[in-house]
Amino acid sequence: MNNLQFKKVWAMPLLLAALTLFGLLAALLGAGYWCLFAWITILVPLLLIIQKTWLKR
Amino acid sequence: MSALNIKRWFWIHRWTSLICTLFLLLLCLTGLPLIFHEEIEQLLSTDAPYQVLPENTPMANLDQMLNAAQRRYPKETLSFAFIDDDEPQVVIYMMPDLKGKPDTRHAMQFDARTGKLLKDEPPASRQPQTFLGLMFSLHTDLFAGLPGELFLCLMGLLFVFSIISGIVLYGTFMKKLDFGTVRKGRSARLKWLDLHNLIGIATAVWLLVVGVTGVINELSKPLFGLWQMTDVKKMLMQYQNRPLPEPGHLSSVQAAYNTTKKALPGMTITSVIYPGNVFGTPYHFLLYTKGSSALTSRLFTPVLIDAWTGKLDAIVNMPGYLKSLEISRPLHFGDYGGLPLKIIWAVFDLLAVVVLISGIYLWIVRRKFYADYFLNLSKEETNE
Repeated sequence: MNNLQFKKVWAMPLLLAALTLFGLLAALLGAGYWCLFAWITILVPLLLIIQKTWLKR
Repeated sequence: MSALNIKRWFWIHRWTSLICTLFLLLLCLTGLPLIFHEEIEQLLSTDAPYQVLPENTPMANLDQMLNAAQRRYPKETLSFAFIDDDEPQVVIYMMPDLKGKPDTRHAMQFDARTGKLLKDEPPASRQPQTFLGLMFSLHTDLFAGLPGELFLCLMGLLFVFSIISGIVLYGTFMKKLDFGTVRKGRSARLKWLDLHNLIGIATAVWLLVVGVTGVINELSKPLFGLWQMTDVKKMLMQYQNRPLPEPGHLSSVQAAYNTTKKALPGMTITSVIYPGNVFGTPYHFLLYTKGSSALTSRLFTPVLIDAWTGKLDAIVNMPGYLKSLEISRPLHFGDYGGLPLKIIWAVFDLLAVVVLISGIYLWIVRRKFYADYFLNLSKEETNE
């Protein structure tokens, strides 16, 4: 797998992984606004699934 | 990756998944109501609401509540007291014999501010099975105690390996596809393969976190046992010549509470374990304290108070493996970020069900599909 192909396959999964991990930890380590950030970042993979399955033809 | 390597990962993914899938489905379905156990309990509760008192009403005397419990059951032994920091209640647990069966333990609920007895419940063995109790048993030990916990722990480990192998396979499957491609209209198999890949990779981190923390939670009994056999045993050696305190001649619990509060001013005391309790020590009141932030409220610091003299003997530092266990709890339950986080947990849980069922489906229709797939892979290799 060359560099370009690696990016194409893994860029999105890595971004989603980072967002989920950030959200899971933000709610644990912070309070108040951090909880809000946490909800938003963990929602991203869920919204993406909805977009790819239902909204896209 | 060579075709042979892919085949190996495939083998790992197929077998780790197949073995654990049915149990994982059970865990997902029973876990769903458990995410909302607080809300469900509140909804089903028939208790009268707490008496309305000014917010800063101080706590009633603990000794007075404990004495009231002892007077109600003079032949039984006090086991521990739970001091709720969420609702104004103190729950006092008693047992006919502290070394007896855990289901003989019964609870009395007191109003923490007035010290008045609110409810006297029969032991678990004489209470009907509740819906949440059923879900909890199916989720944690399949009614089989420690062997059941270890079995589900093993299933969780297989699940973790199946996620990791699934992530590896995702890379090979998606080489020629854009992220999130769902090939509709060609065949049901392709559509479900794409959905399995998309939902699987988008939820991978959540699945891994909940899977790993679930495995750690199932090890809580062995981990606490290990602690008791090592650190706790060593710590208690220095007290072994002390006479055992007798019930009825113990020092004041309220004084133990005050002493602990003074030694650890920022901490909240959540429970007092009586001497002789199998989860405590023979010579002390063991007070569990916790911090106040989202993180430190999950980390407990035990304090030992001499049950004869009321003197503070030790503030105990928990070992790393128990701290990991304590951090694993919120990350598994999803109960640390308000109701929105619980709803997010439930959605992920349902998506996990979709990944599991689509996985079974793909296995059932597998044969011809994968024969062709591997043929193409090796053709590609010889062409390259």
